[in-house]
Amino acid sequence: MLLATLLCYVGFTALCLSMNRHAEDLLGASLSFARSRAARWLGWGVLALSLWVALVSLSVGQALVQWFAALMGSAFVLVFVMSYWPRLAVSLAAIGAVLCPVAACFQLLA
Amino acid sequence: MAWLHTWAGLVFGWLLFAIFLTGTLSYFKEEITQWTQPEIVPHEVSDAVAAERAQQWLQANAPDAKRWFIRLPDERNPDIALTFNPAKGGFEQKSLDSVSGQPVQARESMGGEFFYRFHFQLQMPHPWGRWLASVAAMVMFVALISGIITHKKIFKEFFTFRPRKGQRTWLDGHNAVAVLILPFHLMITYSSLVIFMTMVMPASILTTYGSNTSAFFDDLFPAFKSAPPVSEAAPLASIVPMLEVATQKWDGSRVGLITVNNPGKANATVALGRNGADHIPHEPGTALMFNGVTGELTQQSSMTAASLLLAGGMYGLHMGHFAGPLLRWLYFLAGIGGTAMIATGLVIWLGKRRLKHAKSGVLPFELKLVEMLNVASMSGLMLAVVSFFWANRLLPVSFAARSDWEVKTFFCVWGLALLHAFGRVFFRDGRTAWREQLTLAAALYCLLPVLDMVTAGSYLWASLKQGQWTLAALDLTALATGVFLAWGALRFRGEALGVIASKQTPTGSNRTTVQEAR
Amino acid sequence: MDAAMAPAPVPEKRPRAPKKSAAGEVSMRWRLAVASRVLAAVIGGYLLASLASVCLAYFLPLLFQSSRAEAAVLSMTLSFLFYLPAVLWCFACRTALRAWLGLLGPSAVLGAVYACARWLV
Repeated sequence: MLLATLLCYVGFTALCLSMNRHAEDLLGASLSFARSRAARWLGWGVLALSLWVALVSLSVGQALVQWFAALMGSAFVLVFVMSYWPRLAVSLAAIGAVLCPVAACFQLLA
Repeated sequence: MAWLHTWAGLVFGWLLFAIFLTGTLSYFKEEITQWTQPEIVPHEVSDAVAAERAQQWLQANAPDAKRWFIRLPDERNPDIALTFNPAKGGFEQKSLDSVSGQPVQARESMGGEFFYRFHFQLQMPHPWGRWLASVAAMVMFVALISGIITHKKIFKEFFTFRPRKGQRTWLDGHNAVAVLILPFHLMITYSSLVIFMTMVMPASILTTYGSNTSAFFDDLFPAFKSAPPVSEAAPLASIVPMLEVATQKWDGSRVGLITVNNPGKANATVALGRNGADHIPHEPGTALMFNGVTGELTQQSSMTAASLLLAGGMYGLHMGHFAGPLLRWLYFLAGIGGTAMIATGLVIWLGKRRLKHAKSGVLPFELKLVEMLNVASMSGLMLAVVSFFWANRLLPVSFAARSDWEVKTFFCVWGLALLHAFGRVFFRDGRTAWREQLTLAAALYCLLPVLDMVTAGSYLWASLKQGQWTLAALDLTALATGVFLAWGALRFRGEALGVIASKQTPTGSNRTTVQEAR
Repeated sequence: MDAAMAPAPVPEKRPRAPKKSAAGEVSMRWRLAVASRVLAAVIGGYLLASLASVCLAYFLPLLFQSSRAEAAVLSMTLSFLFYLPAVLWCFACRTALRAWLGLLGPSAVLGAVYACARWLV
C-alpha cells in the first residue's frame, strides 16, 4: 500500500500544480497552458495508477478501503504542508516520485 | 440550499458533535476498556483453551440458562466475555480471565463501552435514543449533500487553505476537513442510517411479512432459528472440536461469537460466527451450526446474497472491526476530522452573524444562546470525557457503584460546563467561557498521564515491560489532546481586538496579528 | 432606454427570499412557509421513501432472483436515496405548496402502483 499512497500524493501534487493559483505558491510562477494541462493529465493518470496498484495487490474490498484511506490521507497531508511550507510540498512529491520504484520493488517481492 | 445547510447544521450540530466525538472514541473502545481496567492483563491463550474455560464456568454457574453467548479473547479483547439469560429472566454478563477461567478481579467500569453506547443511544431509554440518533444521521446526510451543492468552487478550492485570515480561515478549514475526507463522511453517515434501517424504515418488512416480523429474520438467517427447550436433559458436547471444524471450513478464519441454545437439553445447538477482524462485511448469516449433544456439524450457511453483503458491508465499514492498527488510527483521525467539520461549522455560523453586531458590541439573546451551546457542547464535552477517565482512577477500586459514578461524573461535569457557559456568556463574554473551559480541559488532559502514573503506575510499568503499549498510548493521546486544547485556550487570551476585513493581510505572527472579534 | 428594449425579467427559479420589515424581522408568513417546507420534508419525504421501499421490496423478487427477505433488505438500504432528494426538493422548489405537491404526487403514484400490483393483478 506504500506505493499506492506515494502515487496518490504525487498525483494530487500534480493536480495542484495544474491550478494557477497554487502553482504560484508552490513553484513561484504559474505553469504555461501546455504544462498546466500536462500536469492535470499526469495527476489524474497517477491517481488512476495508484488505484490499479491497490487492486492488484489486495482483494477488491480491502483494496478500495485502503485506497480511499490513502487518497484522503495524502490529500490532507498535501493541503496541510502546502499551506505552511509550500516549497516543501513539492519537494516531498519529488522524493515520493523517486521512492515509487523502490516501493514497487518491495511490493513485487513481497 | 445554503439556508438548509446552515440551519440543519446549527440545530443538529451540537448533538452531532457529541455523536461524532464519542463515535470516534469508540474506534478504540477496547483499548479504553483496557485502560479503565488495568488489572486485566492480556495473555496469549488459544481459542480452544479459552472456549473450554468458558464452557466449564458456564456449566457450573449457569446450567439452566436458555442461551449462552461466548466471545473469545483476541488481540484487542483480553478477557472471555460471557452473556447468558438466567432462568429468572433478563441478561447477565461476566468477564472471565483467559488464564484462570475465573471471573476477572478488576475495578468495575464500563470503559469504552460507555462511549460506544452513548454514541448511538444517547443515554436515553430504549428506543428513543436510537431514534434521535437516526434522525440526527439523516440531518447529517442532508447537511453533507446540501454542503456539497452549496460549495460551488468545490474543485477549484480543493487544495485551498489560507491560514491566519480570520473568518476566511475558519471557512477554509471547514471546507478542508469536509471535502478532503468526504468519502469517509459519506460512508459513515449513510452506513449509520443502514444500521438502524429495520427500525426506522420498516415499511417494506411490514408489507411483505405483515405483523410476523420474526419470519423476516428467520428467512434471512435460517441457521439461527431457535427452538424452545425440550424437557429431556442431555450433557452438552465439548465446544473445542467444533472450533477445529470451523478453522477447516473457514480457511483459517477465527471464530468470533459462540452461541449455545438450550444448553444441557436434548435439542441443544451450538452456532459459531466468524471473528470480524479479517473481512469487511458484517456477516451474521455466515455460521456453522452443530448439534449440541453429538457435536456433529448440522448446517453450514454462508451469506452470499448481494443485497445482504451490501448492507453487511456498510455495517462493517462503519464499525471498522476489520481494521488493523494503522487503519484503525486512520479511522480515528477521520472521525476527528468529521468532529472538526461540525465544530468549525458551528463556530462559523456564530462568527458570521456576530460580525453584524460588532459595532454595538452586544449580542442579541439568540446569538448568546448559540454561543453558550457552542461552548457547552464542545469544550464542555471535552471536559466531560476527560473527567470520566479521572473518575476511573480516583474512585476507590472496591466501591460497588463505581461504574455508575464514573458515568455520573461525566454528566455532572457536562452539566456544570453548561452552567459555567451560561454564566460567562450572559454575564461576561463568550471569550472568557472558552478560555476558562479550554484551560481547565487542557490541564486535565495533560495531567492524565501523571494521574495514571500516581494511581495506577504499577499496571502501566507492568504493561510496558510486557510490550503492551495500550495504556501508555492512551496517556500519550490524552497529553497530545491537552496540548492542542492549551493552544486553543491561548488564542482566547486578551481582549477581542476589533473587526478586520477578511482581505487584510496578516502583519506578523499569530500573537501580534490584529484578530477578528470572536 | 426604451421600455420595449429592456430585457425581459428572468423567471425566478429559486425560493423567494424573506421580505424583511424595516426592523429586519422576517414576516410570520415566511416563517410559516419555512415550517411548512420542513414538515413536507420530514413527513412527505418519509412517506415517499417508505413507499419507494415498499414497491422495491414487492417488485424485486418478481424481476430478479431474490428472496422476499433479501429484497426487503435491499429496499430498506436504498430507501434513504429517495428520502434525500425529497428533502432537498422541499427547500429548492419555489413555494411551500410545490414542496408538498412534489412529494405527495409521486407518493400517490407509487402507492397506486403497489396497490394495483398487490390486490388487482
